[in-house]
Amino acid sequence: MITITINGKEIKLEKPVTVLEAARSAGIKIPTLCWHEQLEKYGGCRLCLVEVEKMPRLQTACTLMVTDGMVVKTETEGIAEVRRGILEFLLINHPLDCPYCDKAGECELQDLVEKYGPAKGRYKEKKRKVTESLEDPVIVRNMERCIVCTRCVRMCEGVQGASAIDVINRGGHSHVEPFSGGRYDCEYCGNCVSVCPVGAIMSRLHRHSYRPWQVKDEIETVCPYCAVGCTVVAQVRDDVILRVVPKIGSAVNNGMLCSRGRFGYEFVGSKERLTTPLIRIAPKDSELRTPNSELFREATWEEAISLVANKLSDVKAKSGSDAIAGIASARCTNEDNYVFQKFMRATIGTNNIDSAARMGFAGAQAFIENIFGQGSTANIISGLANSDTVLVAGGDPTTVNPILGLQVRACARRGGNILTIGEIKGLKYFSPVKVGPFLYTEEALLEGIVNILRDKKGLSGANPKLEAMIKDINTSLDDVEKKCGVPAEELARFVDILAASATPALLIGKEIVQSSGASYKLLLLSAINYLFNGRIYLLSERSNEQGMLDMGCAPDLLPGYRPVAYTEFRKRYENLWDTEINEKAGLTIFEMMDAASNGSLKALYVMGENPAFNLPNSGAVEAALKNLEFLVVQDIFLNETAQLADVVLPSLSWAEKDGTFTNMERRIQRVRKAVHREGMEDWKIIAEVAKNMGGKLNYSDAESVFHEISGVSPLHRNLTYEDIEDGHAIYPYKGEPLRDVMEEIRMSKGNVACSEGKLYLGIERPLFHSGTLSTKAPALVKIYPRAVARISAETAAALLLDEGDVARITTKTGSLELPVAIDKTADFPTVMLTNNFEGKGAYSLMEYEIEPILKSPCLDGIEIQVEKSVRLDSEVRT
Amino acid sequence: MEKVLLKNIDNPNSADINEYMKAGGYRSLPKALAMQPKEIVEEVKKAGLRGRGGAGFPVAMKWTFASADLKFPKYLLCNADEGEPGTFKDRPLLERNPHLLIEGMAISGYALSAEYGFIYLRGEYPEAKHILNRAIVQAYENGMLGDNIAGKGVKFHLAVHQGAGAYICGEETALIESLEGDKGQPRIKPPFPVNVGVWSKPTVVNNVETLSNIPYIIEAGGEVYAKIGTPDCPGPKLYCVSGHVEKPGVYELPMGTSLCDIIHTHCGGVKGGKNLKAVIPGGISTPVLPPDKIDCAMDFVNMPKHGSMLGSGAVIVMDETVCLVKVCHRALKFFEHESCGKCTPCREGTGWLRSILGRIENGEGTEGDIDLLLAISGNIMGKTFCPLGDGAASVVQNFIKHFRPEFEEHIKRAKCEMRDA
Repeated sequence: MITITINGKEIKLEKPVTVLEAARSAGIKIPTLCWHEQLEKYGGCRLCLVEVEKMPRLQTACTLMVTDGMVVKTETEGIAEVRRGILEFLLINHPLDCPYCDKAGECELQDLVEKYGPAKGRYKEKKRKVTESLEDPVIVRNMERCIVCTRCVRMCEGVQGASAIDVINRGGHSHVEPFSGGRYDCEYCGNCVSVCPVGAIMSRLHRHSYRPWQVKDEIETVCPYCAVGCTVVAQVRDDVILRVVPKIGSAVNNGMLCSRGRFGYEFVGSKERLTTPLIRIAPKDSELRTPNSELFREATWEEAISLVANKLSDVKAKSGSDAIAGIASARCTNEDNYVFQKFMRATIGTNNIDSAARMGFAGAQAFIENIFGQGSTANIISGLANSDTVLVAGGDPTTVNPILGLQVRACARRGGNILTIGEIKGLKYFSPVKVGPFLYTEEALLEGIVNILRDKKGLSGANPKLEAMIKDINTSLDDVEKKCGVPAEELARFVDILAASATPALLIGKEIVQSSGASYKLLLLSAINYLFNGRIYLLSERSNEQGMLDMGCAPDLLPGYRPVAYTEFRKRYENLWDTEINEKAGLTIFEMMDAASNGSLKALYVMGENPAFNLPNSGAVEAALKNLEFLVVQDIFLNETAQLADVVLPSLSWAEKDGTFTNMERRIQRVRKAVHREGMEDWKIIAEVAKNMGGKLNYSDAESVFHEISGVSPLHRNLTYEDIEDGHAIYPYKGEPLRDVMEEIRMSKGNVACSEGKLYLGIERPLFHSGTLSTKAPALVKIYPRAVARISAETAAALLLDEGDVARITTKTGSLELPVAIDKTADFPTVMLTNNFEGKGAYSLMEYEIEPILKSPCLDGIEIQVEKSVRLDSEVRT
Repeated sequence: MEKVLLKNIDNPNSADINEYMKAGGYRSLPKALAMQPKEIVEEVKKAGLRGRGGAGFPVAMKWTFASADLKFPKYLLCNADEGEPGTFKDRPLLERNPHLLIEGMAISGYALSAEYGFIYLRGEYPEAKHILNRAIVQAYENGMLGDNIAGKGVKFHLAVHQGAGAYICGEETALIESLEGDKGQPRIKPPFPVNVGVWSKPTVVNNVETLSNIPYIIEAGGEVYAKIGTPDCPGPKLYCVSGHVEKPGVYELPMGTSLCDIIHTHCGGVKGGKNLKAVIPGGISTPVLPPDKIDCAMDFVNMPKHGSMLGSGAVIVMDETVCLVKVCHRALKFFEHESCGKCTPCREGTGWLRSILGRIENGEGTEGDIDLLLAISGNIMGKTFCPLGDGAASVVQNFIKHFRPEFEEHIKRAKCEMRDA
């Protein structure tokens, strides 16, 4: 126990902390500027100087560690004089443009000068002049206001790990600049904006639009983008989101945000948002680019909803319940998805309910849970930083789940080993140990790892089924070297680290999940995880992908993952819902498309999803959707699928409704209504349709839906909004952890190989975009404006292509013309395309096979021809 | 006095290892390697050697701290970033007697169980870099550096790292930052470099002159060494004298030689028989002294009693023709330029002081400027991250303390009499 005295007050401390922390713990305020709780201490601003007995000089409270018996004074006349002096120094070159500065009102310098500062300036010399930098579309730098506290730099380098900015020059010329010059070339996390105490680094999104004190409400909610589930605070005035900021101390992200979370909120107020229901007037086979006014007429809610209800009732009567299907949304809340699947099962009477989670997440999770039990992919994200080893396979966590990626970086910073299969760009500067197998040879590599690791660690017998699957794998180091080109000693070192790890974690991304032989690769990865006793993180791109599956938006599973096929479960739900449940498992999303093509599926209800763009081979999907008798799309934008719809129903966005999201940790968090907008939540629209069909879906609000969920889903047993209020409701919540009925482990090996001289199509998952939602957020579009074809320097040279040339990219299914971007770090014969920009989606070029076990598409091995287009960049811009 | 540091200085080939050995060099190293590291530290302690960089910290104490830290590897850094204006005492050692330094470092390395040493050399000494590098190669060739020094199985490797011209890198933690490849800015202390230094390992940083004393201490023994100079600050000291004296240069004299003696006896008095106006005794950061205050013994203990400091022993002599406002302005221009920008008072304050002094020197001073200068200096003094800011404030405070009338005159007459004359 350490006892110190501050301002005559005795403080007892368990462990040594800084004087500043000790003072704060006792409610004594010491002014600071360079100090920030998220950052390493610096001691530069000198505002926190205090008197310490027996020490000749004044000491900075933020750096000085307490010692037993220390006597500190923080509020003497001498100290007040010092603070005045320091603030005077900070102001001499400060422009004093508070009336014009956006920071005024929440500026730490302004507040401190107000409290401690000199009344009058004595500075008669010339002030330092620096022009405000507006070169960047998203971040404004005003270096006249900078006080060189370096919070931004320490944030960028020490926490975010981007190292994009630094203090340049020296002494009075010091100022902060990106290494790239005026425009940032960084991850645009904007965490530098968060920590800047003055108006030196600010977001451009709300520049000169409001004063901080005009913020009416601050609503704590969950980010709508990825499955990390960061807490965001929406600052609102007049039903407009002015700004989104993080919150220190929040459950998952603790004061950090990524570019999407911070700058991606503007889609909420987009002019392109749907406002009224639309009913189709144009023929089914109209061109996609037909003006909307020629496709649809506006309708009232009553008309639209009764039309939907009547049509669905007709189809049901004529062709049976199973001629109708529904597609749920990983961007909608648990409540929306629960009501939707119940609508499909109870009102329509079919299990034809699925989602884009079938693109990989659903199958992969089910596969892993079948080996390790339910909830085995639900692991605490912040725990990654404390792992001694993180193995990353098949995706870049820093772009797919950026805040999770930060934890991997933190792990590296703390001395943990980062092992990657292939090059993971976002971890490049975090000393990863990398093995880079040839394209499409991961299977052999993983077999090799399993083989050596098994011999090193031995089989414990804990999981006989899994052990039976891997006991005969005997791919040797030499085999791997031959097949994958990974030198034997490199792989041996790699496996040595795996074998020596005590608290390892395994991250699995989509490149593994969406590949031929994915189930076999997942089996091998599971085996590695089993052998090194790790935790699995399955990267997930959508905010509520996990929750949507929990809600039973799957053709074979009821809420809480109870299989439809088991009578006793079905009976239980039939009792709870007071209805009959179809015992036949429904169609997956891909089977729905096939059924639509062959005419056996007549009607489709799409909620918050865009299959015509987000499913591979989108041309075929479009044709299938056109073949439907009746298509309802419920969305916030008139997306590609909505343009094919017979009825379009506008719904409310994430910011306009209450509900819950479940993140990849299976942490249930509250989504809170931040702004008001005319319209209905997704669940409410569904309930209205149900009512018109004679169904019984009556809920007063989202909470009452959740109440029903907590009575129905064994995972959510007895959980209330109150329980999840603070974001600490993590799986298995109050309910018992449920092990799925263990089935045989089945897998299928891949059949894709890379041929010499051929180019292949790959999918880029950019940090700045997520689905098509982000393309409705102007700031993100400014950062990453359009689709490009990213090729390696080698490929570019071979094809005589230069940066900015237009390339024509052709596969069996179609072709696209895209400007070329050369990636100097790439060394694979892969052309990377995004699937985010309208009309330029990579999926439109992808024919696929369904992985027999995971039921997800295999998107690897797609051969591609690239040639220089005769068209100019300017011609393909739109 | 028999020269210890500049022993061989008149030999034009003194930097060559053979000449050095002919003059008795590299005899202390094998002798030291036959001792226990602790015994070496004990000798240095007996010698009472204090760091010659300016602060005068007891060397044996620093070494003991580093030895007590159980982290390995340990590093030995030689601070050869001789940047204090007026200082050029290390230069003859680096350029004329590099083997003395190398021998001193090898012994010190052994004493500290450090296997790697670096000489952080100021960027403006390109000649010294070549000489040092050549000397290091010779030392390796002769088995005085390497994995098996003098056949005794002791390992010590040495390399020169050249700075890029920042004054602040003479501060030991900024030096370490710079050596690691980062921007030269001081680190928070504690932890001190003896515990957390280069690459977070225990590191001893000693000045060139300090390390050059080590071979003699081993050769003659600490007790013999301690008889040179004053009891509080034993040993020989290099005084570098510049400015208005008949014979400027580097003088090796016993520590504690009177400043008056240095100027009048050793340097032949003020140049051209003019009157002495002011003396800066230990480099620009040390307080200036008026002519009537120069009868003081130049050592670490005595100088503070006379209102100044020994600093680096860089004596700057100014005669009656010098405008002290201009000197003060020039000094502040230096500090403004060299301020690293890390802490507020130094970053903002030095520039402010410089502009006011510039105005006064240009005849644009206003009443109240002198008090403002003192107020600003007071706001810097004792509030900065490292001593650079204190140095700048002290220059202004002491120039005004001793020569206030000259500043007032500038303001009153709105011109510089000296310049116009």
